Amino acid sequence: MQTFYRDTGAFLQRLNPLSKVLAFFPALVFVALVTDPWTPLAFIVLTAATVLVLGRVPFGYFLKVAGPLLLLVVGFLIFYPFVVRGELVAGSPVLFTLGPLTVYEAGILYALATALRIYALILLSLSFTLTTDATDFVRALVQQWRLPYKVGYGALAVFRFVPMLGSELAAIRAAHRVRGLSEGGGPRARYEQLKRYAVPLLATAVRRAERTALAMDGRAFGAYPERTYYRRLRFAPRDVLFVGGFWTVCLLIVLALNAAGLLGPLVLLQTT
Amino acid sequence: MSPIEIQDLRVRYAGRKAPALDGVDLALNEGETVLLLGASGSGKSTLALTLNGLIPHSLGCEMDGSVRVAGMDTRQTEVAGLSQRVGIVFQDPEAQFVTLKVEDEVVFGLENLCVPPGDMDGRVDRALARVGMAGHRHRRVDALSGGEKQRVALASLLAMEPRVLVFDEPTANLDPVGTREVFALISSLKERGEHTVVLIEHKLDDLMHLIDRVVALGEAGEVLADGPPRAVFRDHADALRSPGVWMPQTALLAHRMGGRGLPLDPFPVTPDEAERALRRQPIPKIVGAKRRRTPEGPPGTSVNGAPAIEVRDLSYAYGDDRVLDSVSLTVPRGDFLAVVGANGAGKTTLALHLAGVLRPPRDAVFVEGRDVSRTPARDLSRRVGYVFQNPEHQFVTDSVADEVGYGLRAMGLPEAEVAERTAAMLERFGLSRYAKANPFTLSHGEKRRLSVATMLAAGQQTLILDEPTFGQDQKNAGEMMALLRELNAGGRTIVVITHDMTLVAEHARHAAVMSGGGLLFCGPTRELFARPDVLSRARLEPPPLARLAARLSRHDPAWAGLLTLDDVAEPEDPRPEGAQRRADLLP
Repeated sequence: MQTFYRDTGAFLQRLNPLSKVLAFFPALVFVALVTDPWTPLAFIVLTAATVLVLGRVPFGYFLKVAGPLLLLVVGFLIFYPFVVRGELVAGSPVLFTLGPLTVYEAGILYALATALRIYALILLSLSFTLTTDATDFVRALVQQWRLPYKVGYGALAVFRFVPMLGSELAAIRAAHRVRGLSEGGGPRARYEQLKRYAVPLLATAVRRAERTALAMDGRAFGAYPERTYYRRLRFAPRDVLFVGGFWTVCLLIVLALNAAGLLGPLVLLQTT
Repeated sequence: MSPIEIQDLRVRYAGRKAPALDGVDLALNEGETVLLLGASGSGKSTLALTLNGLIPHSLGCEMDGSVRVAGMDTRQTEVAGLSQRVGIVFQDPEAQFVTLKVEDEVVFGLENLCVPPGDMDGRVDRALARVGMAGHRHRRVDALSGGEKQRVALASLLAMEPRVLVFDEPTANLDPVGTREVFALISSLKERGEHTVVLIEHKLDDLMHLIDRVVALGEAGEVLADGPPRAVFRDHADALRSPGVWMPQTALLAHRMGGRGLPLDPFPVTPDEAERALRRQPIPKIVGAKRRRTPEGPPGTSVNGAPAIEVRDLSYAYGDDRVLDSVSLTVPRGDFLAVVGANGAGKTTLALHLAGVLRPPRDAVFVEGRDVSRTPARDLSRRVGYVFQNPEHQFVTDSVADEVGYGLRAMGLPEAEVAERTAAMLERFGLSRYAKANPFTLSHGEKRRLSVATMLAAGQQTLILDEPTFGQDQKNAGEMMALLRELNAGGRTIVVITHDMTLVAEHARHAAVMSGGGLLFCGPTRELFARPDVLSRARLEPPPLARLAARLSRHDPAWAGLLTLDDVAEPEDPRPEGAQRRADLLP
């Protein structure tokens, strides 16, 4: 299974995955609710700094993963001003008009805020995937948060499937190209194509799932309601330190923004 | 007490009329190494799955009779208990892993058995040391080679300390290097003598010295033969041959010589025994009688016009990985070329460029004199057929007839002609009775034949095949190769990618050796097997008979350069094996 995970052996990677969930989750919820552009911006900087410094993720690799997602934000920035709700921009100065379209300053600000907010959410989730081994995450969920182990390990096995399905699909597409089939065309052609890919892909997936299941059963998977764990995941002092530290920094940022008058109203508290 | 005792075992899968196993009686002895043979669909894997209770506990099927593991009826025993007595290494190294790291994989079974964590460390160390992977504890499984993966798979079973180990085609997905690793592992298990081993395998010659007993299953899921290797291969050869059971080359050789009035005594089943027997036996005349049988040199058709394929200085990189490194190669028309090399050597990547699946740069690949980079895909697909390793990948319609007709319709032929040519193709490939069937419902051998048929329907003159005999029994493989020989004799150019050196020696006129993305050698097959330097650099070995002949040639020069059965002694029936049954299908 290939996720974006980079094992650099740094502080973030050595943390219990659950402590990262605990640390990031309140920030995630808070950022989802803010309406100003400054809060998400601050959290973007904070997240990037955390990943680069505490996770020692190479800067180039970070850009390679996080960079393309910026395009999404830019796209949002371009289209949002044209579709923003009328009452939100009422009374705002007009920036320019493009034929029948009028772009208000407030529209741009809303677009910026929304785009940054989405990017901050993406980055927060990404910082988790960049520094967390999926196996450890599942193990921690099973051991500490009582996820049934059959569900957890089943999910892991499915996770291992993803790259296999990818290479299988590539092989099928190549095989169809040799037969003189071209890709693309109208929606109907696309549907036919999907159908042609689906059958062999499904056949392989089912066969492989059965093999994996047999290999797992053959090693006594699911034999007892409980199982033991070679590596016990626990919360260590460094986990407490990290969660506490991250929360504190977040709180300080929010207080600072508030003091500077940059914190906009939260969505939940907004009255319409 | 017998570690495994099977009585009147019958297994039938849901939805199937015929049973997979029908009345199997078998008692394994403590510490013996048993080779389990049988044609495709004879129930070998099914039998393996009954040994640790996966049948009936995990797979839904009807099971009658009994399997006792160390005296316990598998039906009444939990899989957990059985898994500590019987472990199975499966064919597909990928599909048997659950986690991402070697250590996690080895502890997986122990955790399921609720072994106290404190006891695991030592068991992991011991298991990994036993398979020679002691220093690899913290590696990721996806970074391991095929052979290493199978070793880890075995370690994860050894940690659970079973007394019986079952290997179900453990080398089928491996290249020659990985195969040797696995065989060495089985050999070291045998030396320690702590395990009863059941082995399903068809690359036999390098294993036979480890085998105490051979059990062969017949087509109807019954025991066909059971006994010491010598007795089974000497006395039951015909019964094994007709359903298509693989036999050691050595045993086939002994039968050939016996048929020519030169019986070898004692009947040899290992290369060492064959060497001893043949050194005692003066064999004038027979040796070398058919040396010219294997096709050699370019065929007559190669002189006119452009070669079938020409590659000029082709390189290809995937990311930072240089997969092809300035490869140049010419394949004359009507050639039969084998492309060989370890996994990752670049064989398939090269072949995909020839068929235009991977687009080569300008002036790098020419098919029948046309630059592939400038030839439209549709035009190219009428000149070059490419048969993928998994035939299912290439099926694009819902019926066998439509599969064959697909390319013809794409050429814009009138429906009447499509029907006529489709019928002729199906007839020729022995698929007429399946015309309306869904391609996915065919047997493995039939799927292969269909994929070849679809690739020739539009009149392609060049056919590239990736591992054409993969996963097939001797009968299907023999039929496939006879078919390719037939097509080749008709003037078509055949390129096969393969790990099977016996196939190369028997059928290929030329061989191209890939190593690390470069072309190490390209020339007549016979020359390749006379070049130990090339073979060792590409981590290949000559086929078993060629190695035997090389050893014998030190005492008798008449053996020098012999590669195949036919080189040594022609068959009593001069048609190649497999062709006998195919003859009626080929007009």
